[in-house]
Amino acid sequence: MSAFFAIDDISVRFGGLKAIDHFSMEVRPGEIHALIGPNGAGKSTVFNCISRFCTPVEGRIRLDGQDILALPAHRIVASGIGRTFQNLELLKRMTVLENVLIGQHVHIPRYFFFGPSPKRKRTEAEAVKSAEAILEETNLAKYRDTPAGELDFGHQKLLDLARALAGRPRLLLLDEPAAGLRNREISFVDALLLKLARSHGLTIILVEHVMPLVMSVANKVTVLSFGQKIAEGTPAEIRRHPRVIEAYLGSEAHA
Amino acid sequence: MYAELRASELAGLLLIIAAGLALPQILPGYFLYTGNSLMTYAILAIGLDLLLGWSGQFAFAHIAFFGIGIYGTALLESRAEVPFLLSVAISAAVAGLVGIAIGFPAARLRTVYLALATYAFAECAQWVFRTWDPVTGGPDGLRFRPPVIFGYETGSDQSSFPVVALILALAIGAALYLTKSKLGRQMCAIRDSEHVATASGIDVRRTKVIAFAISAVFAGIAGGVYTLFQTFVNADVLGVSQLVTVLTMVVIGGSGSIIGVLLGVVVIGLLPELLRAMPQSLLVWQEFIYGSILVLAIVFMPQGLWGLIKPRFIRRTGGCGRTPAQSIRAPAEASQ
Repeated sequence: MSAFFAIDDISVRFGGLKAIDHFSMEVRPGEIHALIGPNGAGKSTVFNCISRFCTPVEGRIRLDGQDILALPAHRIVASGIGRTFQNLELLKRMTVLENVLIGQHVHIPRYFFFGPSPKRKRTEAEAVKSAEAILEETNLAKYRDTPAGELDFGHQKLLDLARALAGRPRLLLLDEPAAGLRNREISFVDALLLKLARSHGLTIILVEHVMPLVMSVANKVTVLSFGQKIAEGTPAEIRRHPRVIEAYLGSEAHA
Repeated sequence: MYAELRASELAGLLLIIAAGLALPQILPGYFLYTGNSLMTYAILAIGLDLLLGWSGQFAFAHIAFFGIGIYGTALLESRAEVPFLLSVAISAAVAGLVGIAIGFPAARLRTVYLALATYAFAECAQWVFRTWDPVTGGPDGLRFRPPVIFGYETGSDQSSFPVVALILALAIGAALYLTKSKLGRQMCAIRDSEHVATASGIDVRRTKVIAFAISAVFAGIAGGVYTLFQTFVNADVLGVSQLVTVLTMVVIGGSGSIIGVLLGVVVIGLLPELLRAMPQSLLVWQEFIYGSILVLAIVFMPQGLWGLIKPRFIRRTGGCGRTPAQSIRAPAEASQ
């Protein structure tokens, strides 16, 4: 049986640099799978390959048997993969609601643009209703009409997540959702991720440096260093893994 | 919110149509001529802003599409005896197709490269208008007769004013519906972040090409409107200085807002009239004053006049346009 989501032996080169070197990973449905590693290990590059912002020179990526690398970047969300961004990419001049409506874009049917029509009215009313449900779930409802650029950092992070959720992904790629958040906000993200995975059956790949979050929500952890996979296992196994300790602290640290 | 026009917007459109019917009875010809010019500029400027302020594409080919609209309508109407409305529709469609044709390569370019490439296109188009003698009359220009619409004769400032106003109202209405639609949202999304747009399933290049085409159609329609109250065109009215005028209207008024752009059209359009009323001894300074107002406006009102006025009487934020709070915060961010 083939895996729900599989990265099979991909490599990425930037000029002479091998950013990703024969990397493979499998994700089972409903799992929260953390991808960790020191800065520059290639975690975001893996995400960029999955969301097709970048093309590996070799290897394959499959979701439910579908070849992801055959799709252009704007077809990825319709194939069931959503993503957030590490460095707060938002539609800053658009409102919170509009950001989520854009996230929902592929699920909103077309209608006549230059004038009124019953279909237009119905379509937009339904879209707004489901966008509001997502705002409710992510605690953003009271900022509905605030431009995204005016939200504080924590809420911008949440909005990025809400926008990605609006695409109704089966697989969600989260690029450092907790980076820069306060403890209280982290525990909200923590609870939200568990809820999404358990009650919505969402599969999540999580790139994160906030280790308490990784350890508390992840079912499985893959460790990347200099573009190569150096370890994989449960959070408890990873914590004790000698190569992981070495990668994070450096071998000289023991000398 | 994304379906219907607000009552105030509908009222505004009806007001334009009503003014179009009433003003020719009251005002003298010169004011009506100025009004016709301003309304033509308004259609041009709204079309340019759909690309500039809503889609975030700094493209300057707009004046060329205006030219296609003028020459196209004039030739079809005067030479081929095609009815006016059909002439405008065909010319606007041609402008849209040319817009698509340059939209494809332009969608690969960004910022200053896009600005330069589209500017070069506008220069080329002006050269064609000036040298293609058999069609455009070359440097001597093209004379055309006033159109007759279903038996209604235009041509005088008086008689064309209601028609221009009606077309303007329809153009504003179409633009309002567009900016409130899924496509309008898509355009704002590619302006704010191409990455987020792409990750949300928006084909960024396709959206840019569509925005180019729609913007070009607006310019083409403005060209058709021009033939209602003018009787002559040559390449001199399709140059960089006219483009800069339209651009100034958009920027000074407030790009990304239809009301803002209309405000800019009125202010910039009437400025030369006001400056002309100055004492004779100051008249030599007219150009200087005009330039100074532009520079000061851009430095002190980056959000345009509308960005300055809006927060004073409208609390509502949102829409794809810029918001008052951001304009207040912008300098602080810049100094960090």
